[in-house]
Amino acid sequence: MPKLLIVDDEIDIREFAKNFFKKRNIDVFTASGGQEAFEIIESEKPDLVLLDVRMEEMTGVELLKKVRDTGNNVKVAMVTGVEEEETVQEAENLGIIGYIHKPLVLEELEKIVLKELNNN
Amino acid sequence: MNHKTQQIDYKRELEAASKSMIMVHEPKLLIRMIIRMIVQKVQINHACMILYVPAKDTYVLTISKGERGIKIPEGFARFDKNHPIIKLFNEKQYASLLLNKSAVLTQDLNKLIWQESILNGNNGNQKLLHDVGDQMRMLNVEACVPAKYKDKLLAVLLLGQKRDSTHFEKHELEFFAALASDVAMAIRNAQLFEGLKKESERNHDLFIRTVIVLGRAIEAKDKYTHGHTERVTNYCISIARQMMDNGSASFPDVFFESIYIAALLHDIGKIGIPEAVLNKAGKLNQTEMEIMQQHPMAGGEILKSLSELKESLDGIKYHHERYDGKGYPYKLKGDEIPMIAAIISVADAFDAMMTDRPYRKALTKEEAVEEIKKNIGSQFHPLPARALVELAEQRKI
Repeated sequence: MPKLLIVDDEIDIREFAKNFFKKRNIDVFTASGGQEAFEIIESEKPDLVLLDVRMEEMTGVELLKKVRDTGNNVKVAMVTGVEEEETVQEAENLGIIGYIHKPLVLEELEKIVLKELNNN
Repeated sequence: MNHKTQQIDYKRELEAASKSMIMVHEPKLLIRMIIRMIVQKVQINHACMILYVPAKDTYVLTISKGERGIKIPEGFARFDKNHPIIKLFNEKQYASLLLNKSAVLTQDLNKLIWQESILNGNNGNQKLLHDVGDQMRMLNVEACVPAKYKDKLLAVLLLGQKRDSTHFEKHELEFFAALASDVAMAIRNAQLFEGLKKESERNHDLFIRTVIVLGRAIEAKDKYTHGHTERVTNYCISIARQMMDNGSASFPDVFFESIYIAALLHDIGKIGIPEAVLNKAGKLNQTEMEIMQQHPMAGGEILKSLSELKESLDGIKYHHERYDGKGYPYKLKGDEIPMIAAIISVADAFDAMMTDRPYRKALTKEEAVEEIKKNIGSQFHPLPARALVELAEQRKI
């Protein structure tokens, strides 16, 4: 089963997204913050990371930078607010497969995730 | 029996919701109450409301309650106009599918699809119904209830499964439809209210700008007073604030608007004074002085028909009165002089002292403050005059 890691500091979003993708035969992991996510990326080696930009302790971009600094090229899709153009640019420079703006269309989220996981 | 008591309960809940709706200008509060009530009273695993967002021309899942993992997070998902559920409720061509239906249920969809295939063949309706079914399964939703005003879809109520796994009953669906219609009305009212508020703000803004223009018109005539109106207005606001801060007065918010307008227009009566007098390069003779001293009264005459400006009018008419009764043109004394005029009087004199006049040179700020101090209780009302002195001492003006 392909492995997906969902990183978001809102528990409602983590749990909803987890159920949403579990039904599609995906092995779903969740992390509520950057450090936890970093450890799961190291230990579980997910095929794709869905990464929220705005998080309290460590932002999505900071986490992404930390991951890339270790030479890890895991695929990352960012989930952002509309107003975060600069952050998106920064994330793109660090290498992401794409981003999706909240509020998002669920089918688009599904499409992005399934496409990337099927490519493996 | 049990069935019947439940119905009565719903009715009471509905009435309570409707009553609060009248009080709530923010429909989201009402919707939050309704969603919470539905989840608790009808015992369903989750419920949420998709709301039309005019600025983005899309629908956003805004309010959501229920079990974690099943409920769709608030603000996370949006439903564009081409989303099957939105299309079904929003587009005229599908209206016939929903005839006599206040809600779309998953258990009805197959029947509807079958009916369509018999009645209309393959006309796209079946595909849409299939898509709606897929969406409802994806969202863990058992019923969708539209909230419409006229033909416009304003919101959609999405309901999950009942905890006892039974289907929704007719009276429950009627209850949801009534709530949805309340929601539509609340949203509509809020939109109207918002529109009225905006219009009134626009009118008010236009009014204030007109007052400013009038104030400039006065200055254009009087070459000695360039910038005077604006400075006096700023002093007046500062003095009134200082009087609040030092505890010598407590003015309501409207007072600040009144004094703002009065200060902008305090010299409007000068419009009626011949320029030869207004701009004379020497001391005025007795007749000219009398003409000049009419300007507060003339200003009052010009503006008296605007009843909304009543408090400001006092400021304009009496801004040359003196605390000792030796001012003009009404010779009011002490507390007979409205505070709004007493404040303008100090601010006006303070600025005039610091301006060159044909008959004398301007004073420095320090000299002007000394002059104000000297005349506390004679020319000036002690409260605003002291406030101005305090402001000067604190270097706030």
